[in-house]
Amino acid sequence: MSDFRYALRQLVKCPAFTAVAVLTLALGIGANTAVFGLINALLVRPLPYHDPSNLVLLWEQFPRQGLERIPVSVPEYIDFEKGLRSFTQIAAFNYSTFNLAGGNVPERISGAVVSPALFPMLGIEPIAGRTFAQEEQGEGHDDLIVISERLWKRRFNSDPSLIGKTLLLNGRNYIVIGIMPAKFEFPIPLFNLQGGQFAERVDIWKPVAFSQDELKSRGSRSYGVIARLRPNATSAKWQAEIDTTVANWVKAFPNNYSARNRFGAKIYPLHEQVVAGMRKGLFILIGAVAFVLLIACANLATMLLARASARERELAIRMALGAGTWRLLRQMLTESIALALAGGAASVLLSVWGLELLKRVGARTIPRLNEVTLDWTILLVTAVVAIGSGILFGLIPALASAKPVLTEALKEGGRGSTSGARPNRVRNMLVIAEIALALVLLVGAGLLMKSFARLQGVNPGFNASHVLTIELSLPQTKYPSGANPSYLGGDSTRNFYQETLRRIARLPGIEAVACTDILPLSGTNSDWSFSIEGREMNKNEPGPDEEIRVITPDYFRVLQTTLLKGRFFTEADNADAPPVAIVNEVLARKYFRGGDALGKRITLGDPRKPDAKWITIIGIIANVRHRALELEPQPEYYIPHAQFPMRDMILAVRSAQDPRSLTAGIRREIQSIDPDQPLANVRTFDRVVSESVAPRRLSVVLLGIFAAIALVLAAVGTYGVISYYVVQRTHEIGVRMALGAQRSDVLRLVVGHALKLVGIGTIIGVILAFLSTRLLSALLYNVGAFDVTTFVFVTISLATIALLASYIPALRATRADPVTALSHNA
Amino acid sequence: MIKLKNLERSYPLAKEKFFYVLRDINLEVEEGDFVSIMGPSGAGKSTLLHILGMHDHGWRGEYFLGGTAVHHLKPKERATLRNEQIGFVFQQYHLLDDLTVYENLDIPLSYRHYKKSERAAMVADMLDRFQIVGKKDLYPSQLSGGQQQLVGVARAIIAEPKLLLADEPTGNLHSSQGEEIMELFCKLNEQGMTIVQVTHSEKNASYGKRVIQLRDGWIVKGE
Ligand SMILES: Nc1ncnc2c1ncn2[C@@H]1O[C@H](COP(=O)(O)OP(=O)(O)OP(=O)(O)O)[C@@H](O)[C@H]1O
Ligand SMILES: [Mg+2]
Repeated sequence: MSDFRYALRQLVKCPAFTAVAVLTLALGIGANTAVFGLINALLVRPLPYHDPSNLVLLWEQFPRQGLERIPVSVPEYIDFEKGLRSFTQIAAFNYSTFNLAGGNVPERISGAVVSPALFPMLGIEPIAGRTFAQEEQGEGHDDLIVISERLWKRRFNSDPSLIGKTLLLNGRNYIVIGIMPAKFEFPIPLFNLQGGQFAERVDIWKPVAFSQDELKSRGSRSYGVIARLRPNATSAKWQAEIDTTVANWVKAFPNNYSARNRFGAKIYPLHEQVVAGMRKGLFILIGAVAFVLLIACANLATMLLARASARERELAIRMALGAGTWRLLRQMLTESIALALAGGAASVLLSVWGLELLKRVGARTIPRLNEVTLDWTILLVTAVVAIGSGILFGLIPALASAKPVLTEALKEGGRGSTSGARPNRVRNMLVIAEIALALVLLVGAGLLMKSFARLQGVNPGFNASHVLTIELSLPQTKYPSGANPSYLGGDSTRNFYQETLRRIARLPGIEAVACTDILPLSGTNSDWSFSIEGREMNKNEPGPDEEIRVITPDYFRVLQTTLLKGRFFTEADNADAPPVAIVNEVLARKYFRGGDALGKRITLGDPRKPDAKWITIIGIIANVRHRALELEPQPEYYIPHAQFPMRDMILAVRSAQDPRSLTAGIRREIQSIDPDQPLANVRTFDRVVSESVAPRRLSVVLLGIFAAIALVLAAVGTYGVISYYVVQRTHEIGVRMALGAQRSDVLRLVVGHALKLVGIGTIIGVILAFLSTRLLSALLYNVGAFDVTTFVFVTISLATIALLASYIPALRATRADPVTALSHNA
Repeated sequence: MIKLKNLERSYPLAKEKFFYVLRDINLEVEEGDFVSIMGPSGAGKSTLLHILGMHDHGWRGEYFLGGTAVHHLKPKERATLRNEQIGFVFQQYHLLDDLTVYENLDIPLSYRHYKKSERAAMVADMLDRFQIVGKKDLYPSQLSGGQQQLVGVARAIIAEPKLLLADEPTGNLHSSQGEEIMELFCKLNEQGMTIVQVTHSEKNASYGKRVIQLRDGWIVKGE
């Protein structure tokens, strides 16, 4: 291993060179390590369930209405459970919240209702106690819960005697029967039950208990379905089975599934469902870090080239002493790989730190991000990448100079380094490549940044500043439905919210207060079909189905959304008053040609029934961007809470001061109405908006960082090559100065050379960027993939920085002393 | 043409000590003179020539060139004066390897802001005068030593300097090639050019009009 020892000695001998090289490599490889860490956790590593490859989710769809991956209704689920043979196990699940009484303040905890089959299906054992038995479900048999290790530790201090004890949740007693290990997570956020995208991690599981309403209503779809495929079932077979089941429904229940709807159901492999949304973004990141690594390698190659030509005589002498080309090649590659391994080691430190930072930035927005760690797989990948890049950047200079022309190099004491037009050409090409690659990255980052800025400038149709939002969930046991269907509350619910609003409005500093069931940009959504009075129902066409919100009278005053026509809801639009609705501009235009909408009537029920409840449209408001800032507003209609008393509402409070300062006062008022009622997810509306663009912000930040690294590396590379150019030309510059060249002439000579390289590099970069930014277009908002401003700005900035980097060695060249230059190798 | 008064050049040694390469040089060279500087190796000949050629500025004393006090000039003014008045020939020729003969001749003109057409004419004229028209597209490595030095001289005088400085112009040449260069110098001198050359050879010195002997930084003969 004398090659290796010699290589180490060479590295120790030039500490400055080694430090710069290791740092460059650490940046290049570290970016890759971090992204591979992400990919490993998010795409490669199996989900934390037993044999996850056979797990699938089942979603329904109404392709005609653009509805895909929608949940399943209870009667449908029961049919699937009975009828499907391709699955060994099948389970329904739904998000739920539990108000946990006791302790200092009541607390709302995220939970799920699940079929007992779920736990054996996922194959995860509890760390204590047991999970639900098959018969432990349904009304009257569902007073059991399983809780997470996390909740057990946090709230119960890991008390081993908790199993068998009773907890008061939502005003009802539940027996804790088991504790699930910390790694167990279900549902995973991205299972995406109607936009439950940012839902918090679930800590309580309870068996399903379908209500009588649910068992009767085929059209009310709210359950997710997860199943384990029979190992030998083919995809054609299970899809055929599902299609048969659906075809039977269409025959048996023509009212629920009109033929032209093209209603259907499909299964999606679980893993696919979790990663599908991230794949594109991650591949762009891989591309970006690969570019960064290539630039780093190019830098290293130029540095090694410079060193190799300084050692040309050494190599020539070695050759004269009998070393073969392969022997020299091996010697040089050993050095570059040793260097790369040192860089790889440093990169691990860098990426540990980077991932820590990333987790802090992205934890709430990227599912499974907390699972990202650097394990042996990643270290192995890093080592392979390091050795690979060591060979890459080592081979270039080695090949360019391992065959020195003996006679030239040994002649007249080696007339410096003016030999070797080939290494020079290679060096120039490397700088050109660096600049081109950096330009592509910068253009990509520039486009994303511009998109992000454009998005920030979008008028969402409301004013989010100075608004505090608080989620409230009233338990059904305490707030019964009365005469209403079970998904609604009754008078107690109405009274709770009316009293809450009345008391909060009296607090000092409050400008307006209201409730809504769904907040814009919060990631949740709800739609409801309706019929318009006097319009013939076409049997073959799906009826209108649009997004619905339930609000209290002052909601648009809190949001500061503009009223275009008619009026807002008032206290008078109560349960006994005629039913009313407000629609947004898009809906009014879609169904009523705009202003005509006022006074028109719709119904949520069956219009043919004589007791149909007709709702009069009394107002039209400006559009609100609900699903995302970048998506066009959808048709929406609003119903007053008094006429549709939902139990789970979100309080929105506008104040003149910092809205967060109101929390204590609001909590006091709510607790004085119902001491068991917790406040959940207290956050400013600004934060809701900011979280809605968090994934985009993350991609901007990441690509921005990688582009910045690329820029720095390209600048350093240009600096290095031009410095070397100057060293190489000391003699020439000396002669030129002796022949009358002035400082400006020398500057022009050096910067001119740099300009040529930078010019070619940017031209190639612009072409590459043109070819590759199209891949980004899905991530762009209101910015073309060929946005001229971005291209021009980035090109000019990069060229300027590269030229500045070359200006430093150029200045040094003008200070060359002709006397020394002309005599040093006399 | 040239007048040096109490000129000295030293290099710092360790701890505030100085190594004197030239001491108390007093020298006058008339216009049209042809001076040979001689002396043993290390005497300071090249140093003196580089000072005259304004490549070196680290000296003290007074240096008048054609009546101008060089010691009072700023670097930029010195460069202008040099470009107007001086041509320089090197022992190692110092032709630029990546440039052709033609391009090598063009360099000094390019630094003196001649017009392009003028430059072409001057280069053509010079190629003609030195009878190297056939070699104009060759690179220095394709020429013999004598031919290279011929180009070196042509390049030194192409901008029509009044003073030609040559540091051992024939040091790397065969004697017959050396003679050719010396005869060329004589001809240039007859045409009115002032020449200062460094040489080791008595024979070469005999082409000149007078000899200055340098030893350990002192002028020992021919002041
Ligand atoms: N940069 C320097 N630092 C220190 N001493 C120097 C430097 N340059 C030249 N010298 C010294 O100055 C002295 C004169 O050098 P110079 O080149 O003028 O000699 P020379 O007379 O031309 O000799 P030769 O005939 O060998 O060309 C030498 O002793 C040399 O070592
Ligand atoms: Mg000398």
